[in-house]
Amino acid sequence: MSENPFKLIRLEEEPPEHLRKEVLGSVRLAVLMMRFAQLFVADYAAVLFDKFKLRRDDDDPAR
Amino acid sequence: MTSEPCHPIIEDALSRKPADGRDLSDEELVERVKASLDTEAFGQLYDRFSARVYRKCLSMTRDRALAHDLTHDIFLKAFLSLNKFDGRSQFGTWLYRISFNYCLDHLRRRQRGPAAVELDAGVYALADEDLYEEELMAIRADRLETVLDAIDPTDRAVLLFKYQDDMSVKEMMEVLEMSESAVKMRLLRARERALGRYKQLFPGEE
Repeated sequence: MSENPFKLIRLEEEPPEHLRKEVLGSVRLAVLMMRFAQLFVADYAAVLFDKFKLRRDDDDPAR
Repeated sequence: MTSEPCHPIIEDALSRKPADGRDLSDEELVERVKASLDTEAFGQLYDRFSARVYRKCLSMTRDRALAHDLTHDIFLKAFLSLNKFDGRSQFGTWLYRISFNYCLDHLRRRQRGPAAVELDAGVYALADEDLYEEELMAIRADRLETVLDAIDPTDRAVLLFKYQDDMSVKEMMEVLEMSESAVKMRLLRARERALGRYKQLFPGEE
C-alpha cells in the first residue's frame, strides 16, 4: 500500500519563538485587568457594607 | 577533601529542585493557574501544547501568519475560559477542541460560502466504515493539498484528525462533541466529498 498522503503533507514546524512572549504578554495584561476589576469590586463591596449595620438578636426592638 | 555522607532524607531534600511546575501534570498546572492566576504555570502549559496547536492551525489554514494569530488567540481564549475546564476530559483534548472550533469559525467567516450540503443519512446507514478510504489514500500528496484547500473546513479538519493526527473515534467524539455514529458519518461524508472534489479537479486521474 502507498504511503499515507496526509502524513506526507504534514507540516512539522515549531511556532515562532516570539509567539510565546506575545501570548504570555497578553495573558499578563488580562491578569492585570482582572486584578484591577477585583480591586474595584472588592472596594465597591466594602463601601456597600459600610452602609449596613450588623445587628444581634438581642438588639431587636420588637422584644 | 571528601565530604561526609549525610542522611538520605537530607540528601533527598537537597537534591530537590524548586517547584517551577516542570514536574507537575497538565491538570495540576491548570489548578495552579485557576487558584492564583499563575502566568508561569500557564507558560508551562504553553510550552507543552503550543507546537500541537500551532501545527493544527497551520494544517487547517495553510497560512503561517494566520496560524500565528490564531494560536495567540486560542491560548488567550483558553486562559480566559480556564474556569470552564472541569477536568472531565484531558486538558490537551479540551484545548484541541477550542483550537478546532476557533479555526473553523475563522475559516467559515472568511469563506462565507454555502455550507457543505448534508447528504441523506439513509444512504449511509449500512455503509462500510472504511468506504472510500483506499481511494483517498491513493491520491498523490500534492493533489491532496489542492483537494483539502477546496473542501469545506469541517471536512478538512475531520480528515486531518483521522489520517494525519491518527485520532481515534473516541478522541474525535470528545473534540467534535459528537456521538460515535455522528463522527463516523461525518468522516464518511468528508471522504466522499473530498473524492468528489478530486474527481472534479483532476478528471483524468481516477
